[in-house]
Amino acid sequence: MPFANEFLTFLAALNTPDRIQTNPLREGLAARPLPEPCTVVIFGASGDLTFRKLIPALYNIAADGELPAGLTVVGFARRPKTDESFREELETAARKFSRQTVQDEVWNSFEQNIFYHQSEFGDADGFRRLAERLDQIDAERPTRGNRLFYLAVAPDQFGLILEQLKAVGLNKAKPGSWARVVVEKPFGVDLPTAEALNAEVSATFEEKDTYRIDHFLGKETAQNIMVLRFANAIFEPLWNHRYIDNVQITASEPLGVEGRGPYYESSGALRDMVQNHLLQLLCLVAMEPPTDLAADSVRDEKVKVIRSLRPLVGEDVATHVVRGQYSAGAINGKNVVGYREEDRVSPTSMTETYVAMKILIDNWRWEGVPFYVRVGKRLPKAGTEIAITFKRAPAVLFNNVIGEPSENVLVIRIQPDEGVSLRMQCKIPGPALRIEPVKMDFHYGTSFGKASPEAYERLLLDAMAGDATLFARRDEVEGAWRFIDPIEEAWHGKGPQPGLAFYPAGSWGPKEADELLAQDGHTWRRL
Amino acid sequence: MSNPSSFPTLGTGIPVAVGQIDRELKKLWEQSGTVASRASLINLAIYCEGKEAMERATQVIGKITEDHACRAILICAEPGKPESNVEAWISAHCHMSRAGAKQVCCEQITFLLEGPSRNLIPNIVFSHLDSDLPLYLWWQGEFPDPIDSQLWNWVDRLIYDSRDWTDRGRQLRLLRDSLAEAQGRIILCDLNWTRGLYFRQAISACFDNPGHLPFLDQIDEITIAHAPGYRCTAQLIVGWLASRLNWKGPEGSQNEIVFTAGNGRRATIRFVERTGAPISEARIKADGATFLFTREEGSEFLHAAFTFPDGRHIESLLPAGRDGSAELVNEELVRGGRNLVYLKAVSVVERLF
Repeated sequence: MPFANEFLTFLAALNTPDRIQTNPLREGLAARPLPEPCTVVIFGASGDLTFRKLIPALYNIAADGELPAGLTVVGFARRPKTDESFREELETAARKFSRQTVQDEVWNSFEQNIFYHQSEFGDADGFRRLAERLDQIDAERPTRGNRLFYLAVAPDQFGLILEQLKAVGLNKAKPGSWARVVVEKPFGVDLPTAEALNAEVSATFEEKDTYRIDHFLGKETAQNIMVLRFANAIFEPLWNHRYIDNVQITASEPLGVEGRGPYYESSGALRDMVQNHLLQLLCLVAMEPPTDLAADSVRDEKVKVIRSLRPLVGEDVATHVVRGQYSAGAINGKNVVGYREEDRVSPTSMTETYVAMKILIDNWRWEGVPFYVRVGKRLPKAGTEIAITFKRAPAVLFNNVIGEPSENVLVIRIQPDEGVSLRMQCKIPGPALRIEPVKMDFHYGTSFGKASPEAYERLLLDAMAGDATLFARRDEVEGAWRFIDPIEEAWHGKGPQPGLAFYPAGSWGPKEADELLAQDGHTWRRL
Repeated sequence: MSNPSSFPTLGTGIPVAVGQIDRELKKLWEQSGTVASRASLINLAIYCEGKEAMERATQVIGKITEDHACRAILICAEPGKPESNVEAWISAHCHMSRAGAKQVCCEQITFLLEGPSRNLIPNIVFSHLDSDLPLYLWWQGEFPDPIDSQLWNWVDRLIYDSRDWTDRGRQLRLLRDSLAEAQGRIILCDLNWTRGLYFRQAISACFDNPGHLPFLDQIDEITIAHAPGYRCTAQLIVGWLASRLNWKGPEGSQNEIVFTAGNGRRATIRFVERTGAPISEARIKADGATFLFTREEGSEFLHAAFTFPDGRHIESLLPAGRDGSAELVNEELVRGGRNLVYLKAVSVVERLF
């Protein structure tokens, strides 16, 4: 039998369906949805996000050869600039902030796709000219009429921009094309503002075309949570109230407000971190297995978790939530001022720089299991992690041994030093029966030499590919605010307010946070 | 690459008795204390012949371990020696981890098999595997006839370079027999296929654009320029296109062949030998459009230029990868899954091999 026939017989025996794709050459070359050619219009093109994140991310995608041919970037901002001067500024930024070293050859090719459009966000004529320019780009370049509008601006500008886009018809795609909008956080500052914002967005773009970025979800380790849970048979049977004692989610950083006093004064740790990033992580840990990996299947399960969060209302806030603010202390051997002494921060500020809370999820799987969440600035170490503490094994056999058996703890480190570790009990070598905890530790950086792409790279690719899995849906965002708002109300409303606890910069937070766990017989994990 | 002071630098490493390897490795790690972490995700066994190949392989392993933590088992045969003799060395490849200040080290165990001792290979591999980790076998050069089924059944991925083969027909037959024996469990990784990866990706990416897709059914002519000795690489690229597009054929031989598409259109393929990069050009003409992909020698980029009948012209720059053995193996190691597309491409161009 000729070799070719043998191989074909062998192929058939593998019983793997030969998938027919739109582009038959793609088979075997890509295992992810492909980004489609388009024009990315960045509103706020002179801003920090564009320079530090978006352009470096697009450059890295280009350097990896994943940018669709003909992809075009149009920066939209108020300041007068030429295409050339805009490109020069972006090159400087890319060289400073890119994950990969910028190579002249790649940059020179990439920058040919970048253009600048000067206009005020409220200028109808500026948007009319934008529409004409995009049509011209579509005629000259293989963008297929697809447009991705990226709102890299403060939320109070969203309405203005969306209104203008709608006025010139840019919110509607031409037949066979698409028009999508990417919205940066914060998605409102409370439920009414989030609803208003979502109403503005949905009046202009359909929900399926709306991509709300939470960059935490673009991180490799956050994506690995689902793989860890659902691709390993050993974890899922234990992933419930029968075997798990508590879950701790921590996001700590030594940094202060770093010149962002006015923003932080209006935000605080609860809105800045808990409402979005940490609740997203909590959802990934707590959700049920989705029916498939389609965006809405995953997001449906996350929404179910949010709906199951036990509301913290009135006095619950005082008993379940600790808000703290750093006072003067030391970080990395240097004295630092307290929050109230920071630039452009009120000396009587009640803004929280630290939050610790106990969250309960009222569903079958998590009945009675506390989820402890803490986030803080000016803490000793930078780290974001999820620690799953299992219930202790029955101690019948080891009651009288030296060393107290402790719990198994599975830790998922989100950043830095991404990885997974598992603490277990082990006998110390020797004639006596002594038990000590040992740690099995997996580090991404040790096992995989290749650096992970930045979160924005992944998320931009997904938005271009039409994959919304890692973006927050409207009901997720509003559900999260529905949970957070009563806490803010208790802190800042008219009734008696729970106190603000102070902690010295460089410590692990106020003692009240320790007491929150102590009342359940728990302690915070040491990072 | 750097090593903690207690680790042997390369060359081949510390000579050890074959029966003492595990003990010596353990000592090696104990000496390293806390300055280094041992990392291993795969067993990478490499077979080569001759001491020069052994030195080259050691350098390549050093590069591979920077991206892929593994236990490397290097087996160097010198079958021409009259007496049977086995020698072994241990060493480590260390580099700074991305995660922090600690060094990450991978072990290398090197064996030199002199004389008629090839039958020792399965035992050598089996007894030094890092348990529970997959076994990737990189066989440099021609396969022995017959391939040892005892070894074959343990291999998860077989890495080879079909460009190195002198008799490709015979080698493919051996591969076919062994695949049948392993019941399709082994994943084949032909570095010659990997060599064409970036051209395949570039060509494919150009047709991701739905506006370009109709041209795939209208291909009249393909010209592939390759360096001397890389005709088989060019043939694999053509085999890939032909199999993906369900072309029938080929007719003709050597420098010009013809395939027939399902719509009856005939595509003429020309191979042009030219000094330069292994594959320096792929030019696809279809219904008045030209899709041109070029690569300068030594360049890490492919230049893509598309010209359409309506006068539109598009250019872009894409990564071209690197041609070294370590880079090719690294490319293979980041890709999972069965290489069905490769097997179909081979089946199309086997006759040309």
